[in-house]
Amino acid sequence: MPPMVRLPLVGWLTAALFACGAARAAAQPPADPSPMTDAGPPVSIGGDVTATAAPDDAPGYFNHTDYDHDALRLVRARVFGEWRLAAPLSLMGELRVEDISDFSAAALYLRWRPRPSGSLFVQAGRIPPVIGAFARRAYGRDNAVIGEPLAYQYLTSLRADALPATVDDLLRMRGSGWETHYPAGNTSEEPGLPLVAVSRWDTGAEVGWQNERFDLAGAVTQGSPAVPVVRDTNGGWMYSGRAATHLPAGLTIGVSGATGQWLENAALDITPDGRDSPSSQSLVGTDVEFGLGRWLVRGEWLRSAFDLPLAASAPSVLHLTAASGFVEGRYRPHPRWQIGVRAGRITFNDVQPSSPSASPEPWDVPVTRVEGTLGFRVNRQLDLRAGWQENWRTDGRVKRQGYPTASLLFWF
Amino acid sequence: MRGFALLSITLLCSIAFVRAQVQTPPASASSSVAGSGGTIHGHVDVPDDRALLPRPSITDVSGPRPRMASRRRVVVYLDAVPRRAFDELPAGRARMDQRGEEFVPHILAITTGTTVDFPNHDTTFHNVFSLSRVRTFDLGRFPPGRTGSVRFDRPGIVPVFCDIHSHMSAYILVFTHPFFAVTDDDGGYEIDGVPAGSYTLMVWSELGTAAPRRVTVADGGTADVDFRVSREP
Repeated sequence: MPPMVRLPLVGWLTAALFACGAARAAAQPPADPSPMTDAGPPVSIGGDVTATAAPDDAPGYFNHTDYDHDALRLVRARVFGEWRLAAPLSLMGELRVEDISDFSAAALYLRWRPRPSGSLFVQAGRIPPVIGAFARRAYGRDNAVIGEPLAYQYLTSLRADALPATVDDLLRMRGSGWETHYPAGNTSEEPGLPLVAVSRWDTGAEVGWQNERFDLAGAVTQGSPAVPVVRDTNGGWMYSGRAATHLPAGLTIGVSGATGQWLENAALDITPDGRDSPSSQSLVGTDVEFGLGRWLVRGEWLRSAFDLPLAASAPSVLHLTAASGFVEGRYRPHPRWQIGVRAGRITFNDVQPSSPSASPEPWDVPVTRVEGTLGFRVNRQLDLRAGWQENWRTDGRVKRQGYPTASLLFWF
Repeated sequence: MRGFALLSITLLCSIAFVRAQVQTPPASASSSVAGSGGTIHGHVDVPDDRALLPRPSITDVSGPRPRMASRRRVVVYLDAVPRRAFDELPAGRARMDQRGEEFVPHILAITTGTTVDFPNHDTTFHNVFSLSRVRTFDLGRFPPGRTGSVRFDRPGIVPVFCDIHSHMSAYILVFTHPFFAVTDDDGGYEIDGVPAGSYTLMVWSELGTAAPRRVTVADGGTADVDFRVSREP
């Protein structure tokens, strides 16, 4: 498992920085009484608390996350803030607690916007993901349902710190992404990797430009889409980008791409070619959003390719691919009520087992998920939802599992 | 919250009072508006509002950098006015723009029966809504250049938001009579054409409360009433 970042020091430092900002704000002279002003307090804070509930996911573990939590049985609290250091420069930070046990500084970066109108921006630090669309709206009320799309949550059997010795070791772990283990590298049982991690953010720099028609963003960071990191683990860089256009009819179309090194050096060192082994994750994707009136429809498709060197055997490197897509819709029949539906699927390419007589089979088990949710806004800041999620897997210990779901979201 | 409760109670009392007046033999319109009425003006001192901060967006950089909407503007109004004291309220129109990802004006005071237009002057979609019991509505997502409209038939306070941009908020105060004013940038206000009589003058502010003041207005006269809003504990 990649190093999960729990940085209480960074977290407290973030809190202290914002506290200092607040103190400075309190010491400033009275604000300009004009109706709108750019001057004023340099610190702003927001946050939310999300609690999801569902029956135990075992033994299917369809909703296990790379943070070793259940996405449908989770209490997450987030506090985020912006400290305007100077007119164009802000320090952005987010502190996150999940299940009252994992405290992390999920985001901490500088945002530079040379013009208030904001066509150009530069962000550096632990930054939001550039690729795809869901990754930037994974939390809170922007989620159309309660669960997460398969591409961003479902755990494949891949590990960044452990390697199969043979292709058969990989195939033995099909459908076991919540707790996978291999004979080489870190041999303990740990969660696998999603195609794109949204629980953690990568570290690096991003440049973006946007106007009313186009969004362009590119980033250089240390990890890969599946393995964002704070401390580099392999000396590689991820290059990612997204281009999107906003069409007049309320249609947004985006394309994304990324490539980065996903395996840790500790794992590469045990391969026959050592750190020269191919170990890249490459990802392409497209996303679409259409929102008009009471309707909001979104779709996203991602294809990820992993180079997986084997610890010992030929072929020495497996070229694995996975594709995942989803379509979701939200309809508001009443200001307080909303209906959300998402359908998604993740598939994997075939690999040939060691035995020449065996038939090729997908390196992990394809999964289909359908989820529907009815939501009620108690007030602007309190959102209650209840629904049902159904999962199908073509193989593995549990081939079908469905459960009622519920969530509470409070934001400020 | 106390300000909300106070205004709600006041408005309810106002409705009851007006209804009671309607049940009495109505005075003719000519007699009720025969005099030019008096004027109430003054100044409202409001505490520093530096606490209002736009909610930051960690993941989304789109749009202009949100500005702070000043909460220093308040509404000064008579808590109850005899129905016979003014002409039938015309079905008017008012406007609350969406500009630079803000509602402009931040506070809008109208009379019942008024239709408010919400034109989108931004380059992004907006989704204006309110969950207020006074008027629950959701205009849905509408593009730049379009205008959504809502009619307000009941008195009360209507907080207005954008479902897409959580930092956008505004208030619409709906009155059963026309004797109210929104303060200007300097805190000044003026209510014209007030029928001669004694009234209780109230203040509604996002930032706190101000003690009601009794005021007597003479036909053609002027009353000067200042307020000081105290921040709610």
